Order: sequence, then structure tokens, then C-alpha cells
Amino acid sequence: MSYKGHILEVKNLCLSLCNADGAPVRILNDLTFSVRSGEILGLIGDSGSGKTMTALAISGLLSDFAQADSGEIIFEGEDLVKKSPRERRRLLGEKIGVIFQDPSSALDPLQTVESNLSEIISLRSKNKEEGRERILRMLKTVGFENPEQIAKRYPHRLSGGQRQRVLIAGAALMNPSLLIADEPTSSLDTVTSMSIMQLLHEMCQEMGISILFISHNLNAVRNFCDRVMVMKEGAIIDSDTSWDIMGQPKSAFTAELLLKSKLDPKALGISRGVAQEDAPVVLSAEGISACYKNTFFKKAHTTPVISGISLEVKEGESVGLIGSSGCGKTTLVKTILGLIKPESGTITKSGKIAAVFQDPVSSLNPAHTVRWHLTEALEASGRKMSEDERKNYFLKILEDVGLSGKHLTRFPHQMSGGQRQKAAIAMCLVQEPSVIIADEPFSALDASSQASIIKLLSDINTKNGTTMLIVSHNLRVIKAMCSKVIVMDKGKIVEAGDTDTVLNDPKSDTTAALLKARMYEA
Amino acid sequence: MRSSTASRRYLYTGGILLSIVLAFFILGLFWTPYGINETDAASKFLAPCAEHIFGTDNLGRDVFSRCLVAARYTLLVSFTGVAYALVIGTLAGLIAGYNGGIIDKIIMIFSNGIMCFPGILLALVAVAVFGPSLFNVIWALGLVFAPTFARVYRTSTIELLGRDYILQAKLMGIHPLRIMFVHILPNLMSQVLPAVIIGLANMTLFESGMSYLGLGVQPPAASYGKMLSDAQSYMVSAPWLIIFPTLMRVCYILGLYFISEWVRTSVKGGSK
Repeated sequence: MSYKGHILEVKNLCLSLCNADGAPVRILNDLTFSVRSGEILGLIGDSGSGKTMTALAISGLLSDFAQADSGEIIFEGEDLVKKSPRERRRLLGEKIGVIFQDPSSALDPLQTVESNLSEIISLRSKNKEEGRERILRMLKTVGFENPEQIAKRYPHRLSGGQRQRVLIAGAALMNPSLLIADEPTSSLDTVTSMSIMQLLHEMCQEMGISILFISHNLNAVRNFCDRVMVMKEGAIIDSDTSWDIMGQPKSAFTAELLLKSKLDPKALGISRGVAQEDAPVVLSAEGISACYKNTFFKKAHTTPVISGISLEVKEGESVGLIGSSGCGKTTLVKTILGLIKPESGTITKSGKIAAVFQDPVSSLNPAHTVRWHLTEALEASGRKMSEDERKNYFLKILEDVGLSGKHLTRFPHQMSGGQRQKAAIAMCLVQEPSVIIADEPFSALDASSQASIIKLLSDINTKNGTTMLIVSHNLRVIKAMCSKVIVMDKGKIVEAGDTDTVLNDPKSDTTAALLKARMYEA
Repeated sequence: MRSSTASRRYLYTGGILLSIVLAFFILGLFWTPYGINETDAASKFLAPCAEHIFGTDNLGRDVFSRCLVAARYTLLVSFTGVAYALVIGTLAGLIAGYNGGIIDKIIMIFSNGIMCFPGILLALVAVAVFGPSLFNVIWALGLVFAPTFARVYRTSTIELLGRDYILQAKLMGIHPLRIMFVHILPNLMSQVLPAVIIGLANMTLFESGMSYLGLGVQPPAASYGKMLSDAQSYMVSAPWLIIFPTLMRVCYILGLYFISEWVRTSVKGGSK
């Protein structure tokens, strides 16, 4: 082979992006790396380090605002930078497949799976029957047992994991030699992520596809990649076999990244919130069930999303709620919060309940500043303060959550995901709640922000004595923070009790499956 | 804010066209070369010349003076009409979207009902019943336009309801009215702005149509629609009577469309 076993070589690639004023900002700095034939190469780094930009540059999907300043991208012996957009488009799908992060927006909702996929084939072959065969074969390859049925479905009738499978099928349809996977599992739960990762691994081995795997899930990278590169500020600062990188990182940055991503309870200084023997019950639910109401003309659903749920949370303790996606965790949380009316059962709460939600993008109102949010929360809690008192109080709260006074006048879009989540927590604290319910508060954040949010919530729990109910996929965090854990499956509680007892000696299949998937979680 | 060359071109073109109308409006407030109803039997049907730059009509009135004054009514009707529609539409849309259920159904059936009829017909009926006057034209057109705004607001409100910050506000026990107007409303501005601009243009067309039929702005006041309807018998012999009022309206409406195009392409539409 003319390219000496390297399917892709990126040499001294420099890339700039125009900012709002039109001035170029360097995103990729002298980037040099290569992907060998048939390997899975992992690319890790903090958010904003240029991982996705690298993927876009290779696939030729950069926006008009980005420009390659210098360097070469040599794919199968040809320099892609010199090719015309038309030629590069031709390569896409045929030789280079791309899988993106968000499976929910990558399929056309108005077309069936089959027509979504046949779009890819129709550009290259006219034979419809053959194309259909190929799609069904590929759907089977990605693990669908009944490809005929799946092909007829519309995207909204598929789960996140199924959609991601369809997208992988689409990317691999034309037998590409390189597959670029940009955070393919970050919006999926751990059990589903694991199966997607296994699928990619199999495809790499059976079809001989090389994969460039971008992720900030270091455990996944460790378990699946042959080699790993660490990226910082647009340059590769470390690269080796995954075992060596993870075992003995060469640079201090990699070591720090590893430490943060482990979310090691000891390193973070997290301790469990435990209730005192005679602590009063602050939140209890008795046999509640709930379902989503249908429209005006249709009768309500008869199958409830959650049913017969009973739980009890004592003051000062921290309870974890786990379960795979779609098991009704969020519905339960919303019912407890009073956002959904339960069909049956009673909920008793003493004191105020505040909530932290998952999505840092929508946790704050984009039209208002942080100060407005805090003021709103203060006024809603019915307390009166003079202007000066209020300012000092806000500054203190912001300091508690790890922000500073300058954030008071910021709008949500001027802050990072982690900062927004901290501001949302500050809003909770202003209300002086007795219970904080956190629904996946860190899963949409990068590793460093995750660590700081976890530490913050744990501190609020142990130092302020605020009771916590934490919903998470991340068993390690639950194990570190919570003294009690509740496991849910298909709308019911399957196991509940002391964290150590439940997680060390699982009684139910659900818990066992969650524990098994743990090795792949971030 | 993303502003490409093409969208800036929209802004400049629209801006120039609108500033012509605006200049006419401001000038007309303070000065007109002749009285708008000043007739001069000696100078009927004068083609544009040095004394009467837009010519004169069948009664010898100066067309330029009348164009200056008519700009006032065009702006007045379009702006107050849209403001009226915006207030009704905002209230109805927010309440329908926020509450959902039966309230939503009633409001939407009512607004769809209005939308079923051709707008001009409804406005004509209202004016025919309550008598032709500027005030009646404004509220009738406002009522016809309100459902458009109600729909925009309702859809966007429903979309925002699921956002975490609205859930958070509900949890904090904030009053629904405050959630609607302080939490939700500011986030809808980006969707409403283009609707308002297009509304202004459509309102002008409707007003001209009604004045043309003799139901809008009443004489002796001048309006572009009225000027057209007066001039139609002399269209061939004195084309300037048609050309100038039409040009003014074209400037206004085209200017608004260009500006709305600029808003659409450069201001990030919708909240992410």
C-alpha cells in the first residue's frame, strides 16, 4: 500500500474560525496524527479543545466561517485539503462515514428508516432492490433482530439507542474505510452505550473499518480503543496505546484529565449524607402512580408510566435513584415535585422542595441575567431584603457555588454549561429548601465541570444538611454520595435500601445489568 | 448576530425605501407646499412641473402635498392597527398556550374562526355596521390581524413550557401571570418581530384597499387608497395621479419586506 498502513495522515493542520467580529481565532494548532488501517483511535480532551473541529475538518463539513490555514489531510494517499468540495462530498459516505453526537436530530422525522437510509444509496446506485437488500443486511449487522419492521418505522418510534444504531448502519452502508464517531454515546444511557460501543468494535474487526473515536468518556476509550490521543487547545499533547496512556500518562494534563474523569470520591472529598437515627421524614410517597394525559378528544393512557411507588426520605440524608433510561425516573421526580398530578397515591412533603434539572442549556431563562434569576427565587420564597443585604446575600451564595460577583450580570449564553448549572443550583439555595431533587444534574457536562458540580452538591448535603434526592446513571457518583439507593425498572421500584448492600449484592436483574454496564461509564 | 453581505444589502435597501416614506411623513407634519384641499380651477391636471412637482389632480389640488399628508395616515393606521392586534394576540396566545386544555380550545376555535373569513371582508362588515371612520378601520383591522399573532405566541409558548427554567419557575410558586409575561414573553421577541413587520405591510395594503372602497380614511383627509380611487377615471390622461401614490406605497411595503428579510436572516430566529 502506498500509504504504508496509514489510512489517514493529518500533517501540521492549522485551522481558524472567525469570531463575531470576523477576526480569525486559531482552533487547531499544528495538528499532526495518523490513523492506521483497521484500528480504533481514541481522541480525548476537555470541551472546547478542538476534537469536533478535527472531525469536521477531516470529513469536509466545516462551516464557511472556518478555514484551513495550512497543512495536509492525506486520506488513502490523496490530500483532501486540495480537493474540491464536490470531490470531498463524493468521499463522504462512500469512503468516510461520520456519526454525530445527537441521534435525535440526525434522522429526518418525516421519513421512515428505510427512506432515510436509501437516500445514502440512491446517490451511488440506481438499483432499488439491491439497495433495499443492502439496508436490511446492514440493519441486521447493527443488531436489529427484525430489520424489516425497523425499516418501516419512523424515527420517533425508535429509542435513542436504536436511532444511533440506524445512524451507524447509515454511516457503514457504503463500506467506508474510515468511520469518524463524534461522541456517539454521550446522549445515551450506560447500558445502551455499552452495546453501541461493542457494535463499533465488532464492525471494526469484521468489516476492517478504521474508527476515529472522539469522546470524553475515558473508560469507554480505555476499553475500546487501540491507541489514544489527548488533545489540548488544538494540539495533540500526548499519544500512545490506550493502556499506556491510561496507566502511565506522560503529561501532567493527561494525568489531571484522568483524575477528574474518574470522579474519585476520595480525591474530590465527597462524603455520604447520612440521616440521624431519629431524623424526621421530610418526603414520603405512598403508592403513587402517574401517566401522561392525552389530548382533548382522546382518553388518557391506561398504562401508567410509574405505578405503586412508595418511598421515604429522611432529613439530611442523600438518596440515589437509578435505572436505565425510560424506566420512569424523571416522571417520578416530576410527580414528587408536583409538575405531574398522580393518578393515585399520596405525597407528603415538609418544607420547600427545589430542583436541579439535567439540561444546562435550558436550566436558565435566556432572556434574563443571573441576578434576575436569583432575585426571582428570593421573591418567590417570600423573604424581604434591602438592596444592600440582597447584594451581599447573592455574592455569598454565588461564592458558595463557586461563581463570583461578575457572574451576576451575565446572561446564560455568556456562561459555560458548568457555570449555568452552578447558577441553577444557586437559585435553589436562595429558596432555602429542605430537599433538593437533582435530575441527572451532571450528565450533560464535561468531566471537569461534572467533578465540581458533584462536589458542590455533596457539600450542600453534608455541610448545610439539605436532603438530597439524586437521579443519575453514574453508579460511582451515587455510591460516593448516597447512603441509600433506589433502583427502578419499567415504572416500578425493584430494589431499595442501603447503598452498599444493594450495589455489592444486587438482588434484581436490573441492578446487575446496571452494574455490568458500569465499566463503560465516564 | 450573524450578518452576511446579502443580509446587509436587505437592510440598506429596506432602510432607504422606508426613510423616503419617513421623510414624507415628517415633512408633512410641518409643511406642505399647498393646502391639501386647496383647489385651483386654473391648474387642473397639470403634469409634474416646477410648481407642482407631482402634478395636480382633477380639482387642481397639489398631489405632492396630498402625498405628504397621506403618509401620516398610512403610518398611523398600520402602527396602531398592529399594536392593537399585538396586544390582543399576545394576551390570547399566551393564555391559550400556557393553560392548554379547554381554555386553549376555546381561544383557538375563536381565532381560527376569524381566520376562516377573508380578512378584508370581516373588516368591511365591521366598518359597514359601525360606520366608516379612521378609528373603526383601525380596530377592525386589528381584530382581523390578532389571530396571526395569537398563533405565533401560542406555538412558541407551548414549546417553551417544557423548558427547565419554566418548570423551575412553576416550582418556585411564581404566579402564572408573572411566568407568562416576565419569564416567557421576552423569549418570544425573536419570533414576533418578523410577524410584526409583515403585519405592518399587510395592514397598509388592507387600509389602502378599504380607503379605495371608500370605507377607510374619510375625506377631506387624504390617503393613498383614496387618492387611487379618485384618480382611476383619469388613469390614462393623467397617469401621475396613479403613479405617485402607488410609488409611495410600494416604497413603504417593499421597505418593510426587506427589513423583515434582514431580521429573518441576521437575527437568530427562535430560541435555542
